[in-house]
Amino acid sequence: MIEDKLLILRFKQGRNGALRQIYDKYKIEMLKLAVVLTGDVNTAEDVVHDVFVRFAQSAQRIGLTGSLKNYLITSVMNRVRNHLRDSNRRRQAGLEEADSLSSSERSPHHWAVLNERLAFLSRALQELPYEQRELVSLRMELDMPFRMIAKLQGASVNTVKGRYRYAIAKLRSLLDSEVEL
Amino acid sequence: MSSADEIKRLFKEAGLSINPDADEKVFEDIQIARQKSEENPPAVSVGIGRILMKSPIVKVAVAAVVIIACLTGVFMFSRTSGVALADVLNRIEQISVYMYQMSMDMSGQVVAGRPVDQEMHTTILVSQDNGMKMITEMLVPGSGKTIQQEMYMLPQEKVMISLIPGQKKYMQIELDDKLIEQTRQQNNDPRFMVQQILDCEYESLGVSTIDGVEVEGFQTSDPNYMGGMMGQIDIKIWVDVETQLPVQAEMNMQMSEIQMHAVMHDFQWDVTVDAAEFEPVIPEDYEALSVGPIKIPAFDEKTAVRGLELFAELTGHYPEELNLMDIISKTSEAMGSKLARERMQGENQDISEQERVNELTEQIMPITGLITFYMQLVQEKKDPAYYGENVTPEDADKVLMRWKVSDNEYRVIFGDLQAETVDADVLAELESALPK
Repeated sequence: MIEDKLLILRFKQGRNGALRQIYDKYKIEMLKLAVVLTGDVNTAEDVVHDVFVRFAQSAQRIGLTGSLKNYLITSVMNRVRNHLRDSNRRRQAGLEEADSLSSSERSPHHWAVLNERLAFLSRALQELPYEQRELVSLRMELDMPFRMIAKLQGASVNTVKGRYRYAIAKLRSLLDSEVEL
Repeated sequence: MSSADEIKRLFKEAGLSINPDADEKVFEDIQIARQKSEENPPAVSVGIGRILMKSPIVKVAVAAVVIIACLTGVFMFSRTSGVALADVLNRIEQISVYMYQMSMDMSGQVVAGRPVDQEMHTTILVSQDNGMKMITEMLVPGSGKTIQQEMYMLPQEKVMISLIPGQKKYMQIELDDKLIEQTRQQNNDPRFMVQQILDCEYESLGVSTIDGVEVEGFQTSDPNYMGGMMGQIDIKIWVDVETQLPVQAEMNMQMSEIQMHAVMHDFQWDVTVDAAEFEPVIPEDYEALSVGPIKIPAFDEKTAVRGLELFAELTGHYPEELNLMDIISKTSEAMGSKLARERMQGENQDISEQERVNELTEQIMPITGLITFYMQLVQEKKDPAYYGENVTPEDADKVLMRWKVSDNEYRVIFGDLQAETVDADVLAELESALPK
């Protein structure tokens, strides 16, 4: 934790290397989160690319009080939510093609290469409603406490725990059927 | 895939690798974005820097916090006890001159309706012979600009001097003999924190490495830290296993509406320093922030009584509890209302800003002095207690505050602010009459 505070401080002071250290420390974790949330590697790359670009531009606005990791996680989640909302709108307007085009244009090619398990997991997770997918990812991948997830999702802890039970049961059944296939 | 544990294992085994060429391109994009944002910084927002400069109340309130923090040694140490940490304290005692960096972030509200999001980076130089020098850079939110402040704490000259070069202003604060004596043993250095941790429940964080140095960490979140005056705290300190000297410390504090996070780092021990470093030069074109030097009252019973009296005059009641930030916040709010009333009634219109600073300081200092006095009583283990929640200025027979003065005697301040020394039995009877 203290290492992150110092990294942010050095980043804010414009010291060489701090941005690189932050990027190297968190890029894989954020890419993995974006992949499981979006189910699409190109979109995930766009999201994380965008998150780090915005982060790099916001040196003066970032405070030292919060957690750097949580800041990045929240940024990824917000971008994914925005992306899904925009995609839905485009789909409704019959503009799905335009979405995928703009996504691939901005995407850095072949930045992330998924292993088989991540591809498998990501596919299965897409069968869950988004809120459940987000919840399971935050809990399973990042070991985030229910209390914090509840805060991020704007729901009560009990609601989140209930959603989690449903999500795990469904995911278990999905994964079992995939394995059998 | 029958259990949540197996799903979790799948999550952990799921991974990805990075294409190095693409990775470099992405990072280049990020660097370019950073450079562009530096070339075109966002417009200056109305942040705390401007609020601080415009509002004498906030200015004095924040100055009071800083002064109290320095004088009581929020970041310092003194006596010894315990085991490994006590050795650290002994080790620091042997060092005559050292310096370190402190990065602090404060957010929340010192004064209601005035959000603060202030970052500071301070270089602190401590000399057992000459005093202390602090150079602070405060970041003005959203502007990329900083305000620099130099502060000198000079026990021999009995003075504290603060310079703000960017505004060509300075403030001089006189310290009386008693205050000097009280602060002499608590120079602004990392010892105070070690001592406070020693006085609390703390635990070892084990051995780890910071910048290649093997360190052992210690942590406390004991609510009794600083006698409970600092609100909720979480403090960690890492000590060089070989030299027994601090390498890094981190503090998180939540006091009322204020959150503070501070990191002390880059310690340099036994540095060579010219005595001239501790001789502040006030250029001729600098303007004083107040009329004449500001006097800080000694932290004693007299100041505590005056502080209680002033607080009650401003708010109509005594502080419910002696929490530093809460009291500063309420005092500032009440002062703001008083000023607004005066303005509406056309009173004191011809008072200069310097005079206003004097007036506000004269009021806020005894109030913060009350807190500091109580804090000292806690530190000196004089069994203090405070009952402001249940006692009003009309309650002449009720105990408002008390502390031990000898084995069987207590000093008591009553609701009407008269003070008496009573024996323990009388005190027990008096306290049994207090509302539960």
